[in-house]
Amino acid sequence: MKHTVRLEQDTAVVVLEGDVDLEHSPAARKVLLECLQQGRHVLVDMSGVSYIDSSGVASLVEAFQNARRKGTRFALAAVSSSALRVLELARLDKVFTIYRTVADGTAGNG
Amino acid sequence: MTPAEGAANPAQQKREALETQLELIAHMSQDFASSLDIDATLRNALERITRYVGAEGGAIFLLSDSGEEIVCHACHGPFDLTGLRLGSNEGIVGRSVRNNACQMVRDALNDPGFESRIDAATGFKTRSVLCAPLTVQDRCLGAIELVNKTARDSLFETPDLHLLRAMASSAALALANARFAANLAEQERQRGELELAAEIQRGLLPEQRPAPFPVAGVNLPARLVSGDFFDFLVLDGGRIGFAVGDVSGKGVQAALLMAKTASLYRCLAKSDASPGRLLGIINQEICDTATRGMFVTMIAGVYDPASGCIRLANAGHEPPLLHGEGGSFQRFPAREPPVGISPTVVGEGQFPEEEIALNKGTLYIFTDGITEARTADGAQCGVEGLKKLIAGAAHLQLSERLNAIAAHVNQHPLRDDVTVLAVDGSSASAPRTAPTMREGSEERRLLMLSFRAQADQLKSVRTAVQDAVTRAGCGATCTKDIVLAVDEACQNIIRHAYRGTPGGTIVLEIERQDDVLVFWLRDFAPKVDVSKVKPRDLGDVRPGGIGVHLIREAMDECGFVPCPSEGNIFRMAKRIH
Repeated sequence: MKHTVRLEQDTAVVVLEGDVDLEHSPAARKVLLECLQQGRHVLVDMSGVSYIDSSGVASLVEAFQNARRKGTRFALAAVSSSALRVLELARLDKVFTIYRTVADGTAGNG
Repeated sequence: MTPAEGAANPAQQKREALETQLELIAHMSQDFASSLDIDATLRNALERITRYVGAEGGAIFLLSDSGEEIVCHACHGPFDLTGLRLGSNEGIVGRSVRNNACQMVRDALNDPGFESRIDAATGFKTRSVLCAPLTVQDRCLGAIELVNKTARDSLFETPDLHLLRAMASSAALALANARFAANLAEQERQRGELELAAEIQRGLLPEQRPAPFPVAGVNLPARLVSGDFFDFLVLDGGRIGFAVGDVSGKGVQAALLMAKTASLYRCLAKSDASPGRLLGIINQEICDTATRGMFVTMIAGVYDPASGCIRLANAGHEPPLLHGEGGSFQRFPAREPPVGISPTVVGEGQFPEEEIALNKGTLYIFTDGITEARTADGAQCGVEGLKKLIAGAAHLQLSERLNAIAAHVNQHPLRDDVTVLAVDGSSASAPRTAPTMREGSEERRLLMLSFRAQADQLKSVRTAVQDAVTRAGCGATCTKDIVLAVDEACQNIIRHAYRGTPGGTIVLEIERQDDVLVFWLRDFAPKVDVSKVKPRDLGDVRPGGIGVHLIREAMDECGFVPCPSEGNIFRMAKRIH
């Protein structure tokens, strides 16, 4: 898995790519929580996520709960079909705000 | 008689000295064993040792918890340094601690380590110093220091040093034992508090009502306190409100959230009979305060004995099972996530309700503790196992039936809290036969793979599984689900069976039995035994068992099967086409 962060105004767009699995989800968790710690809204670009497991999902849930307490926005965008399937199985597709594209997300968050 | 006073016959002197020394050590050990006040015991020991060696005064310094300071815990003689804190390398005593070695200084004033400020403060004149570390199994706890020999030229001699060293090792051992005992006492106290908490928690569960009351429940905590709860209460018009909840994670945090959720339910159920609205309000409350990714899967419902119908709302909880009068089983899966994750997950803050007609059958609502529990033969109970237990106990009266079901899974240490609540639509049930399992006739091995139980192995395992099941004719979604389930099952082995220690092995085997794919995961870790989990695991909050949930969603069957030798065998099955 690799991750990059770019800033679009007050929103950190976190791009996750590859497999967000047991080996790599600690890195994903760290970057998501760091962005929230800096007081930014977070939009996760999941178009390049080829695989996500329960540890990856748990990182997203923790970031989501963290953002809600801080009153900042946390959303997912362009979720790949593989990742969406797992979110559906975990019944979390209704919990997260999910934008069709990253542009929709930054407009919505702007 | 002390050696300082001397004696005419050297052999007799030596023997008497040894006897006195043994007596001294025996007294000291006895003091430590019988007293709870370690500092008072240290003072007694120091006084005996100071007198015995024949010194003007002495002090015992112990290393602080951080190891950065030494603190005077006992003092004897013409000065009192009790409470004095020095850096762990200050003074001659600090040097003894740092080097874990005895010190004999016959000209203290000219020793580079001598702290003259202490004499300046006490007015005492230090001439000669003897120091021995208090050491147990190479671990230095502190040091004992004696100053100025009372006899002759107030200088200590080498025999004094040997004597002090012997006394110091006995004192150190006695001190270590006393500290260990104090730790045990503290653990006992904490256990006592937990037992009290468990008693209060049991008080939150409703009293069983005598037959023919149609609702009953049973709860078996895996540890002292439980993260599960159930409740029922009579509402107006003879209707009965009921709920079952399972808090993510284990231990005290889970128990506290359980207590909060159970109290909220009881409080709200009296005024609002709509299960969907009730879950909506509880969801808001828990979202406002729950921490660290904790949440609750929960079912709330209302049973109307007049119509035999249940209205029910399900927030991410295990699908309840309806055992029909004819012996059939029907599941009612949740469509909404658990409470405590998002306040806006459901429209207008209300969880959707569904209506279930019992038709003289019984509805069983349970937590995953029972499907994850092992039955008498050691196999994981699973939903199919639970169905068999329900069918086998169907002839019994309601609360006896629940007790019988619970007894079946309570023969091995529980991995998780077990809760079952039943709503009985009839007062007279006939015995029913259990559904039979279909046996596969054609078996073919698709994959056999052995790999190390480490996170960095999982990617190649996923690739191998994907290839094997694709070749067997699985569609894209089915393949993805299977890969996910195998990955999650491997993760459980890495994290919970091997507990993250590297070097373990996992063997994966995939077989095809007609149109069913069967997956066997074998590990060689110790059998997981909840009763041996260390106390610090009390705080273990898993991400809500999402992994187990994903496996169940992705596969048609899963569970542990008895393993003939060391290790565990986890079996999953998936029907394809």
